[in-house]
Amino acid sequence: MIRLEKVSKSYRTSTRPALDQVTVDVGKGEFVFLIGPSGSGKSTFLRLLLREDVPTKGDVFVADWNVAKLPRRKVPRLRQRVGCVFQDFRLLQNKSVAENVAFALEVIGKRASTVQKVVPEVLELVGLAGKANRMPNELSGGEQQRVAVARAFVNRPLVLLADEPTGNLDPDTSQDIMLLLERINRTGTTVLMATHDHSIVDSMRRRVVELDLGRVVRDETRGVYGVGR
Amino acid sequence: MRFNFVFREVVTGLRRNVTMTVAMILTTAISLGLLGTGLLAVHTIDQTESLYGDRLEVVVSLTLDVSSRDQDCSQSICAGLQSQLKSSPLVQSVNFENQQQAYARFERLFQGQTLAGLARPQGLPASLRVKLVDPNQTDALRALLQGKVGVSRITDQRDVVERLFSFLRTIRDVVFTLALIEVLAAALLISNMVQLSAYNRRTEVGVMRLVGATRWYTQLPFLLEAAVTGIVGTALAVGSLLMGKALFLDSAISNGFGDGVIPVIQYSDILSVSPWLFLLGIGIASITGYVTLRLYVRL
Repeated sequence: MIRLEKVSKSYRTSTRPALDQVTVDVGKGEFVFLIGPSGSGKSTFLRLLLREDVPTKGDVFVADWNVAKLPRRKVPRLRQRVGCVFQDFRLLQNKSVAENVAFALEVIGKRASTVQKVVPEVLELVGLAGKANRMPNELSGGEQQRVAVARAFVNRPLVLLADEPTGNLDPDTSQDIMLLLERINRTGTTVLMATHDHSIVDSMRRRVVELDLGRVVRDETRGVYGVGR
Repeated sequence: MRFNFVFREVVTGLRRNVTMTVAMILTTAISLGLLGTGLLAVHTIDQTESLYGDRLEVVVSLTLDVSSRDQDCSQSICAGLQSQLKSSPLVQSVNFENQQQAYARFERLFQGQTLAGLARPQGLPASLRVKLVDPNQTDALRALLQGKVGVSRITDQRDVVERLFSFLRTIRDVVFTLALIEVLAAALLISNMVQLSAYNRRTEVGVMRLVGATRWYTQLPFLLEAAVTGIVGTALAVGSLLMGKALFLDSAISNGFGDGVIPVIQYSDILSVSPWLFLLGIGIASITGYVTLRLYVRL
């Protein structure tokens, strides 16, 4: 589902490459943690998958797309099939919970009838069925992240990317979000999650890809965060 | 395409930058209003020219000795000139005016003024009043009559009216210059508004990009916002031109020059320029908006 082949990415402002000869293959329906210290290249990794950036060398594949060579006008089609969740939620403060989720469908031109049908379903899935009309500032951090997950998932993406989704949340709330991501993973969606959270990685025992200084230093099928980190 | 979604975004955008929107509408209105005034001035000048062009003649004044000897253009000098003019392809018609007729005309023109009492028929020249096929061919006529015996002076009445035209043209040029500056100001304001609007909506735009909205979908609300202000601004401009005619222009022209001296601008004239103003208003707004998005805003 996701394949990086000898991918390097250098930024003009830095002498050291952000990613250095990275090769990773993630199968359909896998759940993968991407770990590593700040500056190890996790965010660059995710940006390449979303075509926010293009690699300096190497190929990036998501589903059947050769992402780096995708013409500009086809990038939206890729992003419609790759959901994304961030540490800072990125909700629209002037829209209600339901409107935030609906927005993701409206801007890709989905019909009103589809939106009306799908939004309540996905809110039910993330456990926010009763809070559809609340505004984001009336919700807790965990609830806001659920809205963000709902928005990322509402168009049934092939891949869900999560960039430190629990970074702003307390441990209990983080656990809830992880349960939610697991549930989404069970529907067949590939989940790739960049994180610093030891306890989550250790408790879930999923595949772990560790980056350090832009290189893959570890790739374990049922890994832990690592000793002494 | 979800039209009501795009429509909602446009309304939100316009409401969010309400002062900017108003400033832009007013600037657009003023610039296009001035431009419209300029176009109408051109129209008026054309109309005035054709109005007078039909009436104006080239006056070939005869020398006084010929004038006093020949009262009906039957003698050789005058008759020769007249037949030469009549046979020229430049000339549409020739009329002879003797001293008595010239005097009558003079009295009529200066009625009630002391000048009228001072003139004598013997002091005024007889003339051949020539209407040209093409009023611009005066110089060719002058060349034709160059050095002919009996001709004292050749006067093109258009030279006199030209002063009125040059006054109108000056007004037109000033108005066009102002309009150009205003159009520039409007374009800069539009560019500013689009940037501000994009900045205000950076989260929305970010989310739109993230979930795979096409470039067209992300840009359309901004462009429509600019276009709507362009339309409203132009509508205001056309409205004020119509109002300006009704409230000021009609009375100003008839008070200042008398009826029929300058052709009155009709409502239909204003309505016939307005499609161009709308095209320009929407065009400037959308093009500026698009260029701004391409250059300054990453969508």
